[in-house]
Amino acid sequence: MPSNARSSAANLKMRMAIATVCLGCLALVVGCKTSEDAAAAATQMSATAKSLSDYYSALSVILSGTDQIYSLNEELYSKPYSAESRQGLNTTQAELAKRIAIAADLSALAGSFAKLTSSTAPADVAAAGNKLEGEVDNLASIKVSSGEQNAIKSALQLFVTAVQEHKEHEAAQAMDSLASSLSALFDKEAPSWKSVYDVYVQLGTTLAGNLADQNAVNNSAILKPVLDPFGLMPSAPAPDLSTKLAPLVKKQILARQTALVDSYGNATEAMSKSLQEMSQRIHLVATDKAMAFRAPPVTVATVEQWATQVLSY
Amino acid sequence: MANALSDVQATFLSLDAQYNVLFEGCKNQTQRDALAAQYSTAQQNYQSALNATLTDDDAQVALLNTQLKAANAEVVKATAQLGNISKVIDDITTAVSLGTQLVAMV
Repeated sequence: MPSNARSSAANLKMRMAIATVCLGCLALVVGCKTSEDAAAAATQMSATAKSLSDYYSALSVILSGTDQIYSLNEELYSKPYSAESRQGLNTTQAELAKRIAIAADLSALAGSFAKLTSSTAPADVAAAGNKLEGEVDNLASIKVSSGEQNAIKSALQLFVTAVQEHKEHEAAQAMDSLASSLSALFDKEAPSWKSVYDVYVQLGTTLAGNLADQNAVNNSAILKPVLDPFGLMPSAPAPDLSTKLAPLVKKQILARQTALVDSYGNATEAMSKSLQEMSQRIHLVATDKAMAFRAPPVTVATVEQWATQVLSY
Repeated sequence: MANALSDVQATFLSLDAQYNVLFEGCKNQTQRDALAAQYSTAQQNYQSALNATLTDDDAQVALLNTQLKAANAEVVKATAQLGNISKVIDDITTAVSLGTQLVAMV
């Protein structure tokens, strides 16, 4: 046998041996029937937590938009924007920042969880868990969810302890508890975040309408569908034409308002379903049952689509 | 929580939507100052309510919530008529004041 062929065969044997050991360890780690389930559970948690982080990041952009609307309203229409209101908005923004960090770290932690059996991974997971635990400790202002936040803290403590003591099955159970608490936290806080979004859209609708009334909007875009087929570009309309177009522009603003509210509702429902599905799947793995579906929840795509759109504002 | 927040939010958004019309309708600086002060308080109430815990189970919160709903309806009615700006500002003041009491119960 040529030397390079012998070398390839040896490499293949070595890789197969490593893969066998890894797969066996993964199966032990989460006490599940197949190692594929363990890897899939970790991957799903990582993908869902990433979507959650993006969802909160998009809300942070929305809140910055509200701050901008408050400032514009103060300058243009003498609507007061007090230091107290500014402070209140900053407090909400700080709470969102904590949730963005927690969800992003949880995504990384789930990735580490899949590598739990390697020699250095337990220390990595414990370090990531300790960091996450500290961040969860800082969640306080949205007090409606204190029960869910405490449940997350308890699950993280159990998880970190289990990893440090190499109690793999307990680690999987703690992840199970963590996933269900995270899902409950999201659902409990949903009305507050919906309020943030609704207020942004409603304030924006009023401001856009006021600007249209004052001919402060270039209405030419509304002519585009008519002129495009003829290869013509609209120019900035003269004031009298702009005034005539204003009612159509306001109609478009109202239609867009409805679409924006609907898209947020769909994204929130999809996020909630993704978290619930992830939680149910991890529970199956933690209780030694086989997972029927191994791909990340399909609803994650709806969240990502909405978040990408908002993050481009 | 959700109901109390949504009612404080409704007061603020209703005032924001009608602010320019009401401002134009004010007959003197005193009325304009009163309107601006109510807007500022309604905005603060909303931002505070968002960061706070309001329990609808609490009997006193529930009572204030009911009163605030009625006051919000009065503001909408009075704003639509716009005949007596002083009455409109009084109605707004009542609604905003109820919102302040709600937020203070955190």
